[in-house]
Amino acid sequence: MHPTSQQTIGPFFPRGFIGPAEHDLTRVTADAEPTTQGEAVMLRGSVTRAGGVPCVNAILEMWQADAAGRFGADPAFLGWGRAFTDAEGRYAFRTVIPGGFTDATGTRAPHANITVMGAGLMRRVLTTVFFPGFETEADPVMAAVPTVLRPLLLAEPARREKGLRCFRFDIRLRGENETPFFDL
Amino acid sequence: MPDTPWPPGIEPVVPVPGYPNTWTHTPARAPFPRAPGATEHSAPAALHRKLATGEANLAERSKGRPAIGQLMEISGRILDEAGRPVVGAIVELWQANAAGRYAHAIDTSAAPLDPNFEGHGRIRSDADGRYAFTTIKPGAYAVPVQETWWRPPHLHFSVFGPSCLSRLVTQMYFPGDPLNDIDRILQSIPDAAARSRMVARMLPPASVGSVHLGFTHDIVLRGRFATPEG
Repeated sequence: MHPTSQQTIGPFFPRGFIGPAEHDLTRVTADAEPTTQGEAVMLRGSVTRAGGVPCVNAILEMWQADAAGRFGADPAFLGWGRAFTDAEGRYAFRTVIPGGFTDATGTRAPHANITVMGAGLMRRVLTTVFFPGFETEADPVMAAVPTVLRPLLLAEPARREKGLRCFRFDIRLRGENETPFFDL
Repeated sequence: MPDTPWPPGIEPVVPVPGYPNTWTHTPARAPFPRAPGATEHSAPAALHRKLATGEANLAERSKGRPAIGQLMEISGRILDEAGRPVVGAIVELWQANAAGRYAHAIDTSAAPLDPNFEGHGRIRSDADGRYAFTTIKPGAYAVPVQETWWRPPHLHFSVFGPSCLSRLVTQMYFPGDPLNDIDRILQSIPDAAARSRMVARMLPPASVGSVHLGFTHDIVLRGRFATPEG
Protein backbone atom coordinates (compact mmCIF):
# COMPACT_ATOMS: atom_id res chain seq x y z
CA MET A 1 0.00 0.00 0.00
CA HIS A 2 1.14 3.53 -0.61
CA PRO A 3 1.85 5.65 2.46
CA THR A 4 -0.53 8.51 3.18
CA SER A 5 0.86 11.87 2.03
CA GLN A 6 2.24 14.30 4.56
CA GLN A 7 0.46 17.62 5.03
CA THR A 8 1.43 20.66 7.05
CA ILE A 9 0.66 20.61 10.77
CA GLY A 10 -0.60 24.17 10.23
CA PRO A 11 -0.48 27.09 12.65
CA PHE A 12 -3.01 25.78 15.17
CA PHE A 13 -1.64 22.61 16.76
CA PRO A 14 -3.61 22.64 20.03
CA ARG A 15 -1.93 23.82 23.20
CA GLY A 16 -4.24 21.39 24.96
CA PHE A 17 -2.31 18.48 23.45
CA ILE A 18 0.92 19.51 25.12
CA GLY A 19 1.07 18.55 28.79
CA PRO A 20 3.16 20.26 31.50
CA ALA A 21 5.97 17.67 31.35
CA GLU A 22 5.80 17.05 27.64
CA HIS A 23 9.07 18.93 26.97
CA ASP A 24 10.72 17.07 29.87
CA LEU A 25 12.32 13.81 28.77
CA THR A 26 13.68 13.13 32.26
CA ARG A 27 10.24 12.17 33.56
CA VAL A 28 7.32 10.39 31.97
CA THR A 29 4.65 12.71 33.39
CA ALA A 30 4.57 15.79 35.61
CA ASP A 31 3.99 13.74 38.76
CA ALA A 32 6.37 10.88 37.87
CA GLU A 33 9.74 10.39 39.51
CA PRO A 34 12.57 11.50 37.22
CA THR A 35 15.00 8.96 35.84
CA THR A 36 17.95 8.25 38.12
CA GLN A 37 20.32 7.69 35.21
CA GLY A 38 22.39 10.35 33.54
CA GLU A 39 23.01 14.07 33.85
CA ALA A 40 19.90 16.24 33.48
CA VAL A 41 20.47 19.21 31.17
CA MET A 42 18.45 21.87 29.38
CA LEU A 43 18.40 22.19 25.61
CA ARG A 44 17.15 25.54 24.38
CA GLY A 45 17.03 27.33 21.10
CA SER A 46 14.87 29.03 18.55
CA VAL A 47 13.22 28.10 15.28
CA THR A 48 13.51 30.73 12.57
CA ARG A 49 12.62 31.01 8.91
CA ALA A 50 14.18 33.02 6.07
CA GLY A 51 15.51 36.37 7.32
CA GLY A 52 15.87 35.05 10.87
CA VAL A 53 12.17 35.64 11.58
CA PRO A 54 10.91 33.55 14.51
CA CYS A 55 8.40 30.75 13.88
CA VAL A 56 5.53 30.79 16.36
CA ASN A 57 3.89 27.53 17.50
CA ALA A 58 6.35 25.38 15.61
CA ILE A 59 6.13 21.88 17.07
CA LEU A 60 9.35 20.05 17.91
CA GLU A 61 9.62 16.39 18.82
CA MET A 62 12.82 15.04 20.26
CA TRP A 63 13.91 11.39 20.37
CA GLN A 64 17.10 10.04 21.85
CA ALA A 65 18.79 7.14 23.63
CA ASP A 66 19.09 7.09 27.42
CA ALA A 67 22.28 7.97 29.29
CA ALA A 68 23.63 4.49 28.63
CA GLY A 69 22.95 4.69 24.88
CA ARG A 70 19.91 2.39 24.99
CA PHE A 71 16.38 2.75 23.62
CA GLY A 72 13.45 1.60 25.72
CA ALA A 73 15.52 0.10 28.55
CA ASP A 74 14.73 2.55 31.39
CA PRO A 75 11.02 2.65 32.30
CA ALA A 76 11.52 6.10 33.82
CA PHE A 77 12.97 7.47 30.59
CA LEU A 78 10.93 7.20 27.39
CA GLY A 79 13.45 9.23 25.39
CA TRP A 80 10.73 11.34 23.79
CA GLY A 81 9.51 14.89 24.32
CA ARG A 82 7.52 17.55 22.52
CA ALA A 83 7.72 21.33 22.71
CA PHE A 84 6.22 24.33 20.92
CA THR A 85 7.85 27.65 20.15
CA ASP A 86 6.65 30.85 21.85
CA ALA A 87 6.08 34.27 20.27
CA GLU A 88 9.88 34.74 19.97
CA GLY A 89 10.30 31.34 18.33
CA ARG A 90 11.94 29.83 21.42
CA TYR A 91 11.67 26.24 22.61
CA ALA A 92 13.09 24.30 25.55
CA PHE A 93 13.61 20.65 26.41
CA ARG A 94 14.83 19.13 29.62
CA THR A 95 16.64 15.86 29.03
CA VAL A 96 19.73 13.84 29.94
CA ILE A 97 22.95 13.69 27.96
CA PRO A 98 22.40 10.62 25.80
CA GLY A 99 24.98 7.86 25.67
CA GLY A 100 26.73 6.91 22.48
CA PHE A 101 26.30 3.46 21.00
CA THR A 102 27.22 1.30 18.05
CA ASP A 103 24.61 0.20 15.51
CA ALA A 104 24.64 -1.15 11.96
CA THR A 105 25.57 2.28 10.63
CA GLY A 106 28.66 2.65 12.83
CA THR A 107 29.69 4.28 16.08
CA ARG A 108 27.16 6.93 17.05
CA ALA A 109 28.18 9.96 19.07
CA PRO A 110 25.71 11.19 21.73
CA HIS A 111 22.87 12.75 19.79
CA ALA A 112 19.13 13.36 19.62
CA ASN A 113 16.85 13.48 16.60
CA ILE A 114 14.58 16.51 16.43
CA THR A 115 11.71 16.75 13.99
CA VAL A 116 10.14 20.15 13.35
CA MET A 117 6.64 20.80 12.08
CA GLY A 118 4.91 24.11 11.55
CA ALA A 119 2.82 26.39 9.40
CA GLY A 120 4.41 26.76 6.00
CA LEU A 121 6.27 23.47 6.33
CA MET A 122 4.40 21.11 4.04
CA ARG A 123 6.54 18.19 5.22
CA ARG A 124 8.16 17.80 8.58
CA VAL A 125 11.92 18.22 8.69
CA LEU A 126 14.30 16.05 10.68
CA THR A 127 17.66 17.05 12.07
CA THR A 128 20.15 15.60 14.56
CA VAL A 129 21.71 17.54 17.42
CA PHE A 130 25.07 16.47 18.83
CA PHE A 131 26.27 17.36 22.30
CA PRO A 132 29.63 19.10 22.71
CA GLY A 133 32.60 17.44 24.35
CA PHE A 134 32.28 14.15 22.51
CA GLU A 135 34.09 12.77 19.50
CA THR A 136 31.73 13.30 16.55
CA GLU A 137 34.20 12.87 13.69
CA ALA A 138 33.44 9.17 13.25
CA ASP A 139 29.66 9.52 13.57
CA PRO A 140 28.05 8.32 10.30
CA VAL A 141 25.29 10.97 10.40
CA MET A 142 27.76 13.78 11.03
CA ALA A 143 29.86 12.33 8.21
CA ALA A 144 26.87 12.55 5.84
CA VAL A 145 27.11 16.36 6.06
CA PRO A 146 29.86 18.46 4.41
CA THR A 147 32.58 19.45 6.88
CA VAL A 148 31.75 23.14 6.70
CA LEU A 149 28.15 22.52 7.84
CA ARG A 150 28.94 20.16 10.70
CA PRO A 151 29.20 22.87 13.39
CA LEU A 152 25.52 23.67 12.68
CA LEU A 153 24.58 20.28 14.17
CA LEU A 154 26.48 20.87 17.40
CA ALA A 155 24.69 22.28 20.46
CA GLU A 156 26.63 25.08 22.15
CA PRO A 157 27.23 25.34 25.88
CA ALA A 158 25.14 28.12 27.43
CA ARG A 159 24.75 29.60 30.87
CA ARG A 160 23.87 27.14 33.65
CA GLU A 161 20.30 27.19 34.88
CA LYS A 162 19.33 26.19 38.40
CA GLY A 163 22.48 24.10 38.61
CA LEU A 164 21.85 22.34 35.30
CA ARG A 165 24.15 22.56 32.33
CA CYS A 166 22.36 24.22 29.45
CA PHE A 167 22.92 23.90 25.72
CA ARG A 168 21.73 26.00 22.84
CA PHE A 169 20.64 24.64 19.47
CA ASP A 170 19.05 27.01 16.99
CA ILE A 171 17.11 25.61 14.07
CA ARG A 172 17.09 27.77 10.95
CA LEU A 173 14.61 26.40 8.46
CA ARG A 174 15.85 28.49 5.58
CA GLY A 175 18.44 31.15 4.81
CA GLU A 176 21.77 32.01 6.36
CA ASN A 177 23.30 29.11 8.29
CA GLU A 178 20.36 26.91 7.34
CA THR A 179 20.25 23.83 9.56
CA PRO A 180 21.18 20.59 7.81
CA PHE A 181 18.18 18.26 7.62
CA PHE A 182 18.04 14.57 6.80
CA ASP A 183 15.92 12.30 4.65
CA LEU A 184 12.78 10.93 6.24
CA MET B 1 11.17 -0.20 8.66
CA PRO B 2 10.95 2.54 6.07
CA ASP B 3 13.70 1.42 3.78
CA THR B 4 12.31 2.57 0.47
CA PRO B 5 11.98 6.11 -0.88
CA TRP B 6 8.57 7.75 -0.93
CA PRO B 7 6.79 6.63 -4.09
CA PRO B 8 6.69 9.47 -6.67
CA GLY B 9 3.87 12.00 -6.50
CA ILE B 10 2.89 11.34 -2.89
CA GLU B 11 4.99 13.99 -1.17
CA PRO B 12 3.83 17.61 -1.36
CA VAL B 13 5.69 19.75 -3.89
CA VAL B 14 7.12 22.86 -2.26
CA PRO B 15 7.16 25.79 -2.28
CA VAL B 16 3.46 26.13 -3.04
CA PRO B 17 2.46 28.94 -5.45
CA GLY B 18 0.23 31.51 -3.74
CA TYR B 19 1.23 30.35 -0.26
CA PRO B 20 4.09 32.66 0.81
CA ASN B 21 4.75 30.81 4.10
CA THR B 22 6.07 27.88 2.12
CA TRP B 23 8.60 30.13 0.38
CA THR B 24 10.14 31.28 3.65
CA HIS B 25 9.92 28.07 5.71
CA THR B 26 10.99 25.40 3.24
CA PRO B 27 14.69 24.59 3.49
CA ALA B 28 16.56 25.67 0.36
CA ARG B 29 18.93 22.72 0.62
CA ALA B 30 17.72 19.19 -0.07
CA PRO B 31 17.76 16.89 2.94
CA PHE B 32 20.95 14.87 3.30
CA PRO B 33 20.69 11.15 2.69
CA ARG B 34 22.02 8.99 5.51
CA ALA B 35 21.59 5.36 6.38
CA PRO B 36 18.84 5.04 9.02
CA GLY B 37 20.26 3.56 12.20
CA ALA B 38 18.95 2.55 15.61
CA THR B 39 17.66 6.07 16.34
CA GLU B 40 15.58 6.24 13.16
CA HIS B 41 14.33 2.67 13.44
CA SER B 42 13.00 3.09 16.96
CA ALA B 43 10.40 5.15 18.78
CA PRO B 44 9.04 5.19 22.33
CA ALA B 45 7.22 1.89 22.81
CA ALA B 46 5.06 3.19 25.65
CA LEU B 47 4.32 6.73 24.54
CA HIS B 48 0.77 6.37 25.88
CA ARG B 49 2.32 6.64 29.35
CA LYS B 50 3.27 10.21 28.50
CA LEU B 51 0.40 11.19 26.21
CA ALA B 52 -2.95 10.57 27.87
CA THR B 53 -5.40 8.88 25.52
CA GLY B 54 -9.10 8.12 25.62
CA GLU B 55 -10.52 11.41 24.36
CA ALA B 56 -12.64 10.11 21.50
CA ASN B 57 -15.63 12.45 21.73
CA LEU B 58 -14.93 15.99 20.59
CA ALA B 59 -18.59 16.73 20.04
CA GLU B 60 -19.65 16.49 23.67
CA ARG B 61 -16.67 16.95 25.92
CA SER B 62 -18.85 17.63 28.93
CA LYS B 63 -22.04 15.63 29.23
CA GLY B 64 -25.07 17.67 28.26
CA ARG B 65 -23.04 20.41 26.55
CA PRO B 66 -22.92 19.40 22.90
CA ALA B 67 -20.91 21.39 20.37
CA ILE B 68 -22.77 23.10 17.56
CA GLY B 69 -22.43 21.48 14.18
CA GLN B 70 -23.20 18.47 12.03
CA LEU B 71 -22.57 15.43 14.22
CA MET B 72 -20.31 12.87 12.57
CA GLU B 73 -18.19 9.86 13.32
CA ILE B 74 -14.85 9.39 11.65
CA SER B 75 -13.33 5.93 11.84
CA GLY B 76 -10.84 3.81 9.98
CA ARG B 77 -7.66 1.87 10.35
CA ILE B 78 -4.00 2.69 10.83
CA LEU B 79 -2.07 0.40 8.49
CA ASP B 80 1.51 -0.17 7.43
CA GLU B 81 2.72 -0.34 3.84
CA ALA B 82 2.11 -4.09 3.84
CA GLY B 83 -1.53 -3.43 4.75
CA ARG B 84 -1.17 -4.79 8.25
CA PRO B 85 -2.85 -3.03 11.18
CA VAL B 86 -0.66 -0.83 13.37
CA VAL B 87 -1.81 -1.79 16.86
CA GLY B 88 -1.75 0.65 19.74
CA ALA B 89 -0.77 3.62 17.58
CA ILE B 90 -1.44 7.00 19.18
CA VAL B 91 -3.79 9.00 16.96
CA GLU B 92 -4.30 12.74 17.50
CA LEU B 93 -7.13 14.63 15.80
CA TRP B 94 -7.68 18.38 15.79
CA GLN B 95 -9.89 20.65 13.73
CA ALA B 96 -11.76 23.93 13.36
CA ASN B 97 -15.27 24.31 14.74
CA ALA B 98 -18.41 24.35 12.58
CA ALA B 99 -17.80 28.04 11.78
CA GLY B 100 -14.25 27.42 10.59
CA ARG B 101 -12.45 28.73 13.68
CA TYR B 102 -9.84 26.96 15.80
CA ALA B 103 -10.01 27.23 19.58
CA HIS B 104 -6.43 28.48 19.56
CA ALA B 105 -5.14 31.85 20.81
CA ILE B 106 -3.39 32.55 17.53
CA ASP B 107 -6.45 32.03 15.33
CA THR B 108 -7.61 35.63 14.92
CA SER B 109 -10.46 34.85 12.52
CA ALA B 110 -13.71 36.75 13.02
CA ALA B 111 -15.74 33.54 13.00
CA PRO B 112 -17.30 32.72 16.38
CA LEU B 113 -15.84 30.34 18.93
CA ASP B 114 -18.02 27.58 20.31
CA PRO B 115 -17.61 27.39 24.11
CA ASN B 116 -18.47 23.70 23.94
CA PHE B 117 -15.89 22.80 21.32
CA GLU B 118 -12.15 22.59 21.92
CA GLY B 119 -11.57 20.59 18.77
CA HIS B 120 -8.98 18.01 19.73
CA GLY B 121 -8.83 14.40 20.91
CA ARG B 122 -6.32 11.60 21.29
CA ILE B 123 -6.86 7.83 21.29
CA ARG B 124 -4.98 4.60 20.52
CA SER B 125 -5.73 2.24 17.66
CA ASP B 126 -7.17 -1.11 18.75
CA ALA B 127 -6.09 -4.67 18.00
CA ASP B 128 -7.29 -4.28 14.39
CA GLY B 129 -5.54 -0.95 13.99
CA ARG B 130 -8.94 0.71 14.18
CA TYR B 131 -9.61 4.23 15.46
CA ALA B 132 -12.86 6.19 15.82
CA PHE B 133 -13.78 9.72 16.91
CA THR B 134 -17.13 11.39 17.34
CA THR B 135 -17.00 15.04 16.35
CA ILE B 136 -18.74 17.71 14.32
CA LYS B 137 -18.00 18.55 10.73
CA PRO B 138 -15.57 21.49 10.59
CA GLY B 139 -16.32 24.62 8.60
CA ALA B 140 -14.25 26.08 5.77
CA TYR B 141 -12.18 29.21 6.35
CA ALA B 142 -10.24 31.75 4.34
CA VAL B 143 -6.44 31.75 4.55
CA PRO B 144 -5.22 35.29 5.36
CA VAL B 145 -2.71 35.71 2.55
CA GLN B 146 -2.69 38.16 -0.33
CA GLU B 147 -4.06 35.74 -2.92
CA THR B 148 -6.52 34.35 -0.44
CA TRP B 149 -8.16 31.00 -0.85
CA TRP B 150 -10.56 28.98 1.23
CA ARG B 151 -9.45 25.88 3.03
CA PRO B 152 -12.04 23.15 2.55
CA PRO B 153 -13.39 21.46 5.67
CA HIS B 154 -10.62 19.16 6.87
CA LEU B 155 -9.42 17.17 9.88
CA HIS B 156 -5.79 17.19 11.04
CA PHE B 157 -4.32 13.82 12.00
CA SER B 158 -1.08 13.14 13.82
CA VAL B 159 -0.11 9.47 14.11
CA PHE B 160 2.78 7.88 16.02
CA GLY B 161 3.95 4.67 14.42
CA PRO B 162 6.59 2.25 15.61
CA SER B 163 9.59 4.22 14.35
CA CYS B 164 10.93 7.74 14.18
CA LEU B 165 10.55 7.56 10.40
CA SER B 166 6.93 6.39 10.41
CA ARG B 167 5.72 9.50 12.27
CA LEU B 168 2.97 11.06 10.14
CA VAL B 169 1.13 14.37 10.25
CA THR B 170 -1.52 14.74 7.58
CA GLN B 171 -4.97 16.12 6.82
CA MET B 172 -8.21 14.47 5.76
CA TYR B 173 -10.80 15.98 3.44
CA PHE B 174 -14.51 15.42 2.85
CA PRO B 175 -15.85 13.85 -0.32
CA GLY B 176 -17.49 16.09 -2.90
CA ASP B 177 -16.49 19.45 -1.45
CA PRO B 178 -15.88 21.91 -4.32
CA LEU B 179 -13.14 23.63 -2.30
CA ASN B 180 -11.01 20.46 -2.44
CA ASP B 181 -10.09 21.12 -6.06
CA ILE B 182 -8.75 24.61 -5.36
CA ASP B 183 -7.09 24.00 -2.00
CA ARG B 184 -3.41 24.83 -2.33
CA ILE B 185 -2.45 22.44 0.44
CA LEU B 186 -4.32 19.39 -0.83
CA GLN B 187 -3.32 20.22 -4.41
CA SER B 188 0.37 20.38 -3.41
CA ILE B 189 0.25 16.57 -3.71
CA PRO B 190 0.96 15.93 -7.41
CA ASP B 191 -0.50 12.45 -7.76
CA ALA B 192 -4.30 12.38 -8.20
CA ALA B 193 -4.58 8.92 -6.68
CA ALA B 194 -2.60 10.06 -3.64
CA ARG B 195 -4.92 13.06 -3.27
CA SER B 196 -7.98 10.86 -3.52
CA ARG B 197 -6.60 8.70 -0.72
CA MET B 198 -6.71 11.78 1.51
CA VAL B 199 -10.45 12.16 0.98
CA ALA B 200 -12.68 10.20 3.37
CA ARG B 201 -15.55 8.04 2.14
CA MET B 202 -19.06 8.65 3.40
CA LEU B 203 -20.65 5.55 4.85
CA PRO B 204 -24.16 4.78 3.62
CA PRO B 205 -26.46 6.58 6.08
CA ALA B 206 -28.64 3.49 6.29
CA SER B 207 -25.72 1.58 7.78
CA VAL B 208 -24.83 4.35 10.24
CA GLY B 209 -28.23 5.19 11.70
CA SER B 210 -29.93 8.45 12.47
CA VAL B 211 -27.62 9.89 15.15
CA HIS B 212 -24.69 11.06 13.08
CA LEU B 213 -23.08 10.98 9.66
CA GLY B 214 -20.39 8.37 9.20
CA PHE B 215 -17.10 8.69 7.36
CA THR B 216 -14.34 6.16 6.97
CA HIS B 217 -10.68 6.91 6.34
CA ASP B 218 -7.62 4.66 6.49
CA ILE B 219 -4.15 6.04 7.13
CA VAL B 220 -1.06 4.22 5.89
CA LEU B 221 2.23 4.76 7.72
CA ARG B 222 5.60 4.29 6.12
CA GLY B 223 7.33 0.98 6.70
CA ARG B 224 6.48 -2.67 7.12
CA PHE B 225 6.24 -3.40 10.78
CA ALA B 226 5.75 -6.21 13.14
CA THR B 227 3.12 -4.72 15.41
CA PRO B 228 3.05 -6.54 18.74
CA GLU B 229 2.90 -3.31 20.76
CA GLY B 230 0.70 -3.49 23.79
